[in-house]
Amino acid sequence: MKKYISALVCGFGAGVLQIVPFLRSFSCCFIIPLAAFTSLMLDQRATKSREKISAKKALMFGIVTGLYAALFGSFFELFITLVTKHNDIISTFPELQRMIEGFPVTPEIKTEVLNLFQNVREEILTKGFSLLYTFSVLMNNFIVNTIFGAVGGLVGAQIINNRINNPSN
Amino acid sequence: MRFQYRLILFIVLLIWFSGIFVEWLIRFDNHFLFALPFLQKTYSLVCHQGKAKLFLFNNGETLTCARCTGIYLGLLLVSFAFLFKDYKKKFPVKFLLYSSVPMFADVILYSMDLYHYSKLIAFSTGLLLGSVGFLYLYGGLKNLILEMKN
Repeated sequence: MKKYISALVCGFGAGVLQIVPFLRSFSCCFIIPLAAFTSLMLDQRATKSREKISAKKALMFGIVTGLYAALFGSFFELFITLVTKHNDIISTFPELQRMIEGFPVTPEIKTEVLNLFQNVREEILTKGFSLLYTFSVLMNNFIVNTIFGAVGGLVGAQIINNRINNPSN
Repeated sequence: MRFQYRLILFIVLLIWFSGIFVEWLIRFDNHFLFALPFLQKTYSLVCHQGKAKLFLFNNGETLTCARCTGIYLGLLLVSFAFLFKDYKKKFPVKFLLYSSVPMFADVILYSMDLYHYSKLIAFSTGLLLGSVGFLYLYGGLKNLILEMKN
């Protein structure tokens, strides 16, 4: 576990960036890959290693950073929803309704989709918890963050290895 | 890298890129409407989805901003090109840094109000970085496969 302490730190940072409303507006596809890259850099510094990073190690650091980001991001998101009984599903529901009404789809499907999200909305407003919402947050965070973390690790390792080969860069 | 791996990579990128246009896909299959809120959440993890920065098309919107759409299209286009030829050449990291300069320059310049945000500029700079970025993703995957074999 100690081996991945840098991944824990960077994953925590990325998880927070993905959830805090103001910081979220700056979030983009680089947050998780950058966190994975930074975790590799921090690990190199901490171990004072001058050896090239293997692709396997880069992949593992990327995945673990992504997993930590997903863990913290999901925890904060679900916890804030539980406490405040409010989240982006609630605030964007009227817009979602308008959007769905505008699509050229059969009325039955429109009603079904709206009922589904109306139920989620009501559960969150009353209990602060919805099983479907929790499942969607966990699935999204764990799959997307892990993949983007792995990509960041693999690309990041090449940048770090290049600097080891050419210290002047 | 074997053709099968390159094909898998291309298909994964194609699925990811298609998801951005789910509002358009709903017109072809109504059941995509069930996936819309879920996918909005998925892409919100990797893009701020600022309303003014999304592409509008046929009464629909992309699920990512112009810049992110450009990045993913760049990745997809180059992965398509790599289906036909497996490039053995290693690309220096400075290419990646140079290709990111226009994008960061655009972010900084429009943030400083030197000019108004342009979807076309954002898309083009993203496309450049995505296209070059694929070379490094590909290089990383190749290294990984090589290490796994040894």
